[in-house]
Amino acid sequence: MAPDAAPPPDPDLLGESAQDLYENAPCGYLACSPEGLILRVNRTFESWTGHDRETLVGRPFHSLLTPAGQIYHETHYAPLLQMQGAVREIALEIVRADGSRLPALVNSVRQPEREGRPAIVRTTIFDATDRRRYEQELLGARRRQQDIALELQRSLLSGALPEGDALQVAVVYEPAVTGLEVGGDWYDAFRLPGEKAVALVVGDVVGRGVTAAATMGQLRSATRALAGTGLGPAALLDALDEFVARHDVGRMTTVAYAELRLDTGAVRYACAGHPPPALLQPGREPELLWEGRSVPLDAGVGTGARPEAGTHLLPGGSLLLYTDGLVERRSRPLGVGLDELLAELAAQRDNLPADLLSGVVGALEDDRHVDDLCVLLAHRPGGGAG
Amino acid sequence: MSVLVRNNVMVEGQPWGRPMVFAHGFGCDQNMWRHVWPAFADSYRIVLFDHVGAGGSDIGAFDRERYSTLAGYAGDVLDICRELGLEDVVFVGHSVSAMIGVLAAADEPERFGSLVLVGPSPRYIDDEDYVGGFTPQDIEGLLDSMDSNYLGWSSAMAPVIMGNADRPELGRELTNSFCRADPEIARQFARVTFTSDNRADLARVHTPALILQCAEDPIAPEAVGRYVERALPGSTFVQLEATGHCPNLSAPDETVAAIRAFLGA
Repeated sequence: MAPDAAPPPDPDLLGESAQDLYENAPCGYLACSPEGLILRVNRTFESWTGHDRETLVGRPFHSLLTPAGQIYHETHYAPLLQMQGAVREIALEIVRADGSRLPALVNSVRQPEREGRPAIVRTTIFDATDRRRYEQELLGARRRQQDIALELQRSLLSGALPEGDALQVAVVYEPAVTGLEVGGDWYDAFRLPGEKAVALVVGDVVGRGVTAAATMGQLRSATRALAGTGLGPAALLDALDEFVARHDVGRMTTVAYAELRLDTGAVRYACAGHPPPALLQPGREPELLWEGRSVPLDAGVGTGARPEAGTHLLPGGSLLLYTDGLVERRSRPLGVGLDELLAELAAQRDNLPADLLSGVVGALEDDRHVDDLCVLLAHRPGGGAG
Repeated sequence: MSVLVRNNVMVEGQPWGRPMVFAHGFGCDQNMWRHVWPAFADSYRIVLFDHVGAGGSDIGAFDRERYSTLAGYAGDVLDICRELGLEDVVFVGHSVSAMIGVLAAADEPERFGSLVLVGPSPRYIDDEDYVGGFTPQDIEGLLDSMDSNYLGWSSAMAPVIMGNADRPELGRELTNSFCRADPEIARQFARVTFTSDNRADLARVHTPALILQCAEDPIAPEAVGRYVERALPGSTFVQLEATGHCPNLSAPDETVAAIRAFLGA
């Protein structure tokens, strides 16, 4: 021990009597009966709330809370206190004498009955005004971020779908509801210049968030621009490969691309790493179009020209393009999802195009919505009983 | 997915006894019954469970649409009864689960012998002459305040809260673990609970029912309990001395005695 060191001040000389510590503590202090009736309060609580102790003693603690706080108190706070003997960090609002609200963090400990003294509940109240304001700002920022991302995604998907006597197009687009980030699924349908033909596109960019949405916007525009030059499906995917490689954007994106002639029903299509389109023809079993397949965009394997294939959409027939969110689940193999898709198409084939689409999606979609879901249905009217 | 896993069903008591199904309300889990069910374990078959989204239930089984009304939760009760082959059930429902039991008994009356409704309310929001105790703004405020209280449930804690069967000690370390719930699910459950209106369903029930009414219950005031008594044909109303909304925790002896008296009668 160093003889020169000044001794620490005698705690008794600090003027901190137990009474003073209690009354003027930097937090509100309450003692309640196990039933929740206020037995004692400190001066800090009085001055923060504007209630004086004469009106507080004998009153139930929950009666100081907002109606919402009373529900929370009865359904969470009181049961937890009973079961655990303590609760910590519960956010509640205390209604002051003038009607204004004190945002507070509340902690309680139950002191069991002992040596003839009755059980009591000790509660401390911390003023959380600034903290609550900051929390509200953070929550607001989180919601805004989500709104912005969804808005961006919506605007990137803008553009009227082609319509007319020769073609009906219906779309379902459901962003995943879990998490804050948007995904990179997209769809498109547009008339090709100078031809009685439309292009149908569904694609899926790897990743999530604003970057994935922006990438999707670029690829969607690039696809539109390239399709307008009359390349046809296979050459269009080759050109997209080059676009992706040159601009280093959207590697491993998957795309299903089809061109449909409105006068003849002739279809040319190609798939870059994408689930196969489904074809529903009048009087036939629904089928998957497994030809014209190649790897995702700029996948870094193989340099040869991509393949494409052809089929024919009969009057009364429908072509379905979709992302894997429709058929893929962690809990089951992809093949099962594809079989279910065919079964649903067969079961709902007599519905109108829009009903057919919503029916199939309703039957197949994952209620948990963990993945984006994008489905495009092109229907060629006519053909009598379809 | 087995119903028993989905709802974290626990079976205790006498395998051949009359079944007694305990259903917890909005907020916590089956632990709400810990001081009540043991009193009946010597002669009843005790069935405890967690609603999907609460306690040890399978959160992955949550289906936004199924649980968008109380009927979805009532469906779960019936699923459990079917799975265990329960007949002549004594259904004991606390808070919102009182109405869930009412819906289940209305749909399959033959399964239920008695209903015990602890702090029931068929509608929480005032409506013309009906006084439920809350305004729509009060309920919106509740949903907002739940956001504040779930800020503590950071995403880092989510995997812990979601249940780690292999590391149960993680769950035990959490404070407030009896009331843990996935925030999104809890929010929807709160909305479904406090915006429901099941007044018309009461007339569909003819199962003998006991209404346990607490004193000074801010969630289900006496006027609401009396409404349920009038609307449920042949029901028995018992006023408890217990205060608050959870007599099963705050006054288990009185609660047990009231249920015993009703079932013994």
